[in-house]
Amino acid sequence: MKNSLKILFVIILAIFISGCLESKKTPEASEPINLVKMSGQEMVQRLGTGEIAGFIMWEPYPAIAVTKGYGKDLIFSGKIWAEHPCCVVAYDDDWYKKTNNSDEILKRMALVQLRSVEYINNAKQSDSPDHAQLINYTMQFGGMTDPVAANLSLADVEFVYNTNVADTTTFIQRIQDFKIFDMAKWNQSGYKNASDYANSLVTNNYVDWAVNNKDENLSKLSLKEPVNIRYAYLVNDIHELPFYVGWQKGYYKDLGINIVLAEGAPFQNGAFEMQNGFKANTVDVGSLGIPPVIIHRINSNDFSKDDAGVGVIAGMNNEGSVIVVANNITSIKDLKGKTVGFPGPGTIQHVLFLMEAEKEGLTVSY
Amino acid sequence: MKIQPGKKGLIINLLSLVVFALLWQLLVILARKDSFNIPFIRLRDIPTPVETWVALVGSMFIQLHGPGFTYGIVNHVYASLQRVIEGGIIAFIVGVPVGIGVGYSKLIGNLFNPLIEIVRNMPPMAWIPLSIFIFVSGGSIFIVFIGVIFPIILNTVQGVKSTDPRLIDAARTLGASESMIVKKVIIPSAFPSIMTGLRIGLGVGWMAIVAAEMVIRSPVGLGYFIWNMGDLGRYSEMVAGMIVIGVIGYIMNISILLLQRRFIKWGA
Repeated sequence: MKNSLKILFVIILAIFISGCLESKKTPEASEPINLVKMSGQEMVQRLGTGEIAGFIMWEPYPAIAVTKGYGKDLIFSGKIWAEHPCCVVAYDDDWYKKTNNSDEILKRMALVQLRSVEYINNAKQSDSPDHAQLINYTMQFGGMTDPVAANLSLADVEFVYNTNVADTTTFIQRIQDFKIFDMAKWNQSGYKNASDYANSLVTNNYVDWAVNNKDENLSKLSLKEPVNIRYAYLVNDIHELPFYVGWQKGYYKDLGINIVLAEGAPFQNGAFEMQNGFKANTVDVGSLGIPPVIIHRINSNDFSKDDAGVGVIAGMNNEGSVIVVANNITSIKDLKGKTVGFPGPGTIQHVLFLMEAEKEGLTVSY
Repeated sequence: MKIQPGKKGLIINLLSLVVFALLWQLLVILARKDSFNIPFIRLRDIPTPVETWVALVGSMFIQLHGPGFTYGIVNHVYASLQRVIEGGIIAFIVGVPVGIGVGYSKLIGNLFNPLIEIVRNMPPMAWIPLSIFIFVSGGSIFIVFIGVIFPIILNTVQGVKSTDPRLIDAARTLGASESMIVKKVIIPSAFPSIMTGLRIGLGVGWMAIVAAEMVIRSPVGLGYFIWNMGDLGRYSEMVAGMIVIGVIGYIMNISILLLQRRFIKWGA
C-alpha cells in the first residue's frame, strides 16, 4: 500500500516537474508565436473580440475581417513567396485505374479549369460586363453577403491552370525541413528526394491538351457517354472559385461530366479531404491545397495499397492567403508571445507562416 | 473497491496488458498482409504497439524544427492536468458547501434541487459551444468545473444525509451549536463520500478536458495534441497521446483512492 502510494506520487511529481520545466523552457528560449487551429469564421470573430492578435488564412476571410474593421492586412502570401502554388486539382489513383476513360475525363477537367480561369481573370476587371456575375459567384461560393468584401477577396488571388513542378519541389523540401513527414512513411514511399516526389505527383499532360483545345466548342469535345464525377472542395475557399464557375456556367455538363458532390464535401480543410475523401475512395476528383496533398500522400498512405495515391492535374491558384492582424500590430515581430489563428497543421498557410517566421528569426509553436 | 491485487493479481494484470499488446500487434500485421479484412474498418492503418511506443518516446519533449516548436507530450499532460486541477479545486470549493447545505437544510435543498437536477443532466461537452463564446480564456477549466461539481454535490448530499442521527443528537445534547455540528460531526462523517465524489468528478473532468481541448483553442493540451497529430497523419503519435490520456486518468483515480484509504480511516 505504502509503496504503491509512493510510486504514484513519484510518477505524478515527475510529470509535473518535467512539464513545468519544459513549459518554462519555451518562452525563455524564443518567445514563440502561438499558432492555434480554428475555422475561418472563428478567426474573424476572435480577431473582432480581441481574443487573437491575428490569423493567416485563405480568402475570403482576410477580406471579411478587413471590411468589418476587425483588423488589417499585414503580409500577403505573395510577399512571403512570390507566385507560390496554392490550391490544385487532384484525382484519386484508385478511381483513375478503375475508370476506362479516366485520361479523357481528366483532359476535360483541365479544360474546364482553363476556361473558368480565363472567365474569372476577364471578369475581375470592374469594367467587364461579367463583373457583377463574378461577384455574385464569389459571394455564393465564399458564403459572403458583402460585395465589397467579395471584390477585395479576389484582388490578391492569382487564378491559374498550370502546375509548377519546381515550386512543388520547393514545397516538399520545406515540408521536409519542418519535419512534417512521418519519416517511416517517407522511407516506405521510395522517393529519392523532393524532386523525384514532385515529378511523380504532378502531370502537365492534361493542361497541355487543354491549351491545345482551348478555343474549341465545348460540346464538340464532349465525352461520348456522360460520366458522374464525385467532386470535393474546401468550404468557402475563394481559391477554388474556378471550380464553382465551371460548375455554374455548365462547362462540365457541356463536356459530358456530371458533377456530384462527394460525401462529406465541402471539407473544412485539405487534411480532411485527403483522409476522409481520397483515402476513403469517396472522392474521384477534388480541389485542395497542395501541402495536404503532399503530406497525406505520404503520412496517411498505406503503401502496400497506395490508398492515398493522388495525382495533380492542374493548378487552381497561386498566392491568395494573408496574415491579418489587429489594428495595433505593426510587424510580425509584434506577434511574439501572442495567439494567431491558422487553419491547421500541414496546410499551406501553416507552411507559409513558418517560412515568414524563419525569415524574421521568430519561432512558432503549434 | 479493491485496489491492491496482490503479487499474483499484479502478475495477471500485467500479463493481460502484454497479451492485449501482442494481440493488437498480431491483428494489425495480419491485416496489413491481407490475411483478413473487416468491412468498414481500416485495421491496417492502426499503428502497432511498437510504432506507438517509438512515437511516444520520440514526442515526449519539446522539439524545434526550423522555426516551429512542437510541444512534447509532457507539456500537453502538464497543461491538461493543470486545467483539471484548477477546475477541480473550484468545483470542490463551490460543490462541498452547496452539497452540505442541500443535504442538511430542507429549505436549501428545496431551493437548489430543481436547478441541480436539470443542470447535472447536461453533459460537460454540451457546454463547450457556450463556453467558447462567454469565456475569453479559461473555457476548458469551466468545462472541467461542470464535469466535477455535480458528482461532488451529489456525493456530499449523500454523505450528509447518511450521517448517523445519534451522533447529531449526542452533539446537541452536549450543547453544540448548529455550526459546531456541521464542522465537527457532519463534515467528518460526510468526508469519505465527498472524496468519492471528487474521485468520480475528476474522472469525468479528465474526459471532459480532452474533448474541450479539441474544440476550445489552446496551443497545448492532450486533446489538442491528438487532434493535431491526426490532422498531420501522424497516427502513431495520435495513438500514443490516447494511451497517455488513459494512463493518466487511471493514475489519478488510483491516487485519490489510495489517499482516501491512507488518510480517511473511518470511511475505508
